[in-house]
Amino acid sequence: MFSRRLSTARMPLRAWAVSGLSLVVLIAAIGPVSAQEEPPMLADRVASGELPPLAERLPSNPLVVEPYESIGTYGGVWRMGMRGGGDNALIAKTVGYEGLVRWDRQWQEVVPNLAASWEVNEDATEYTFTLREGLKWSDGEPYTTRDIEFTAAMFHDPEYPANSFINDQNNPATVEIIDDITFKYVFEKPNGMLMDTLASINGTMAVSIPYHYCSQFHPNYNPGAEQLATDAGFQSWALHMEDKCAWGWETSRWTNPDLPNIYAWKITEPLSGTAARVRWERNPYYWKVDTDGNQLPYIDELDMRVSESLEELTLLALNGQIDFQDRHIATNTNQAVFFDGQDQGDYRLGSVVRSVSSSLVLQLNFNHDDPVKQELFQNRDFRIGLSHAIDREEIIDVVFIGQGEPFQVAPRPESHFYDEEMAKQYTEFDPDLAIEHLEAAGLTEIGADGIRLMSNGEPTRITVDVIAALRPEWIDILELMQLHLADVGIQIEINNIDRTLFYDKRPGNDYDAQVWAGDGGLDVMQEPRYYFPSGAESVWAFKWQAWYTGATPEIAEEPVDWVKEQMALYTQLTQEGDPDVREDLMREVLAIAKENFPVIGVSLMPDGYYIARNNLRNVSDQLIDAWLFPQPGGYDPQQWYFE
Amino acid sequence: MLGFIISRLISMVLTIWAISLVAFAIIQLPPGDYLTTYVATLSASGDRVDPRVIEALREQYGLGQPFIVQYWKWVSGIVTAGDFGQSFEWGRPVTELIWGRLGNSILLEGLAVIVMWFVALPIGVYAAVNKYSLGDYLATIFGFLGLAIPNFLFALVLMYLGYAWFGVVMGGLFSPQFEGAHWSFARVLDFLSNAWAPVLVLATAGTAQLIRVMRANLLDELRKPYVTTARAKGLPEWRVILKYPVRVALNPLVSTIGWLLPTLVSSSVIVSVVMNLPTAGPMLLRSLTTQDMYLAGTLILLLGVLTVIGTLISDLILAWIDPRIRYGGE
Repeated sequence: MFSRRLSTARMPLRAWAVSGLSLVVLIAAIGPVSAQEEPPMLADRVASGELPPLAERLPSNPLVVEPYESIGTYGGVWRMGMRGGGDNALIAKTVGYEGLVRWDRQWQEVVPNLAASWEVNEDATEYTFTLREGLKWSDGEPYTTRDIEFTAAMFHDPEYPANSFINDQNNPATVEIIDDITFKYVFEKPNGMLMDTLASINGTMAVSIPYHYCSQFHPNYNPGAEQLATDAGFQSWALHMEDKCAWGWETSRWTNPDLPNIYAWKITEPLSGTAARVRWERNPYYWKVDTDGNQLPYIDELDMRVSESLEELTLLALNGQIDFQDRHIATNTNQAVFFDGQDQGDYRLGSVVRSVSSSLVLQLNFNHDDPVKQELFQNRDFRIGLSHAIDREEIIDVVFIGQGEPFQVAPRPESHFYDEEMAKQYTEFDPDLAIEHLEAAGLTEIGADGIRLMSNGEPTRITVDVIAALRPEWIDILELMQLHLADVGIQIEINNIDRTLFYDKRPGNDYDAQVWAGDGGLDVMQEPRYYFPSGAESVWAFKWQAWYTGATPEIAEEPVDWVKEQMALYTQLTQEGDPDVREDLMREVLAIAKENFPVIGVSLMPDGYYIARNNLRNVSDQLIDAWLFPQPGGYDPQQWYFE
Repeated sequence: MLGFIISRLISMVLTIWAISLVAFAIIQLPPGDYLTTYVATLSASGDRVDPRVIEALREQYGLGQPFIVQYWKWVSGIVTAGDFGQSFEWGRPVTELIWGRLGNSILLEGLAVIVMWFVALPIGVYAAVNKYSLGDYLATIFGFLGLAIPNFLFALVLMYLGYAWFGVVMGGLFSPQFEGAHWSFARVLDFLSNAWAPVLVLATAGTAQLIRVMRANLLDELRKPYVTTARAKGLPEWRVILKYPVRVALNPLVSTIGWLLPTLVSSSVIVSVVMNLPTAGPMLLRSLTTQDMYLAGTLILLLGVLTVIGTLISDLILAWIDPRIRYGGE
């Protein structure tokens, strides 16, 4: 029998047995909370009877959050800035990171959150969760397994356009309710990655749609739902539902202040196309407490300035009018300004570790329509030649002011998958060696203009697509690379295009090469796009990934053997319940990637920074920034406070 | 005069129809559609979307339909129900989003136009009458400076100085407590206390241009014999100048009123982004980059309508101030 011990080091706990379950499980639970004082902001409303007293609002076993430095004090407004459109992720990362489980602050272990405990059956097809007892939505309604089931039903509904692990076509999940607080996710095939998924930001998908509020918009639950949608001016109930009860972190989730949530703060001024601010106030029913039993959050309100102007946000931060922020304004170019302004603005800088490995990844199109280029790009010697021709030290000095080190696309040094050899192979700047490898790849002839000729007599000219708007330094890096590669007789043309076109070219297979950042430096197992063709972001082998995922069979092409071996290993990995075995399998995938060297990296992504006002306490000195492990949400901003 | 107005109105309707067609075609020109942009944005943040979900959305939004069908849906909605379609990004009817923004634009840019005219015309007249005087040279220098400094740079410098000297961050049009409030006297005062900076920025380049045009026009007129005649008849100097040559010199200025609004809206996009002004410019920019086509199309269409109306107004004013035009048709 296979059982899991939960990491409970950070919370006082006592063993707590669940009757009716046969598996051995250790559950983190909290003793009854001693009588606590009301947060001052809510005291009046409790006194007037508008709100029930604290003890009735908290679950019987609230989650105890250990403060980073010290127990805090209540009050204050946390000011930050966001862009108007397309910035729903900022809210998700700041407020919305609440799932059944979460990552600890080191991004190492899965710890309880909405679920107090869980257990997994031996072949990882059944996951049983026990919710905290007495959880409530922000409007005071009980949070039960009914909500989990309803959320899953929405994902399974083909008309409700959202995707998550629940409706993954390869291995969908069904929900079985056991009682009000116990339920099971049941899978047809083993799903070894479920806990990782649930602990990531994607896990918020599974818990986000309240039955008592949202069922009125669905015709299965309310016969009048279609009429309701028509009255509200929507063409279908599905569009109405999306507008009122969006999944996970979709923008319209932040535009509906009536949608009950389970976050530390609830919306008072929603996001909209015309909003100047998004405001939040404390959720009286929030289900986390500090180690003294005080209800969190400490900070009463959030005030997010909606601004299209990064200049305005930068000045606000310099002027001390932003309490915590890293997104948007903490750029390379602003760093010196922010460093100098610390005294005047009364803020400090903290460091942010990026989960990205290489600052730029050059992905040559292995599935090129031109057979000559296809053969050349698939030639390992060619890629090694290119890699040796790049003067990485120069790029680091010029573009990153000396920050970083030569690095391939490989796990970062902080990761336990780190393999120095893999990270450093072929990073040495050696034009002679480069030429040797290029000649080994068949590029022996040199044309009139000094460019090496491919086997069809055409010059080796590679067009590299890049979105400069996304990361301005990409263009700087590419321009240096262009000079380096020209020295060994390879011409690259930099093609700066818009994001939409960048994506549009993929299914049409209309590109030589594309660049992106090295995702998967820390989230190695969850984001293996450069280690093998795992999904649509594996641009270097777009047809092979189609073969693997099955999402777009019309362009799929059978991969070469080493890739198929990796795919088989990774499939095995996703179905494996034992974390140690999973790691071993991942190491095998990485070893094959190291051997075959599919994509070319440049330098290790330098650390970023965040800005926090000096009176804002309990903020971790170093944050890890990744999509799957969102920050600052992953660092419990509920326990931040103002001195 | 009536026939003049009627023929103008008929051509106006036809122009607006043509604008709607062109506007809708233009926003469809870039590769992909709103959903491709949406997928790209999600991917940039590390998120992924199932292609099936995108297909379902494409169907719901009607994005797969042919151009003519989509256009007809849009235009018939506007004509029959005043419905400009939905904004994909915000899931809201376009009309709910744009009126506040357009109102701010018209208010702000209207103010900028008024300031421009009030500052530029007297200076232009002064510079022309006192040609090559110290005042003329000063007006010329400041005029050219205003013309040469890009608006957005001026805005940035103003913002930086505001921060460095006064510890104030300029941005937006309202103080926090008035952002969501209804119009009241206090809100107007608050608006004015915030709007001076953008108005100043928006007005500088235009002012410089107006001064130059006014000066040149008036110089041409001042040389003409009727001015000498008026002087010889003993009219006071200010009357000589204001009653005749200035009126004539205004002609070319008035005839461009129609273009003034759209020029201001489009030239103010960057300033509005830099200073975070809740005007139509940033919304247009954003909707174009996300290919939120009904929102973008509506904004372009309305800007077109504004231009057409502006042209009509300038025609009417021209007819009013210039008897040659007024009687020309009869």
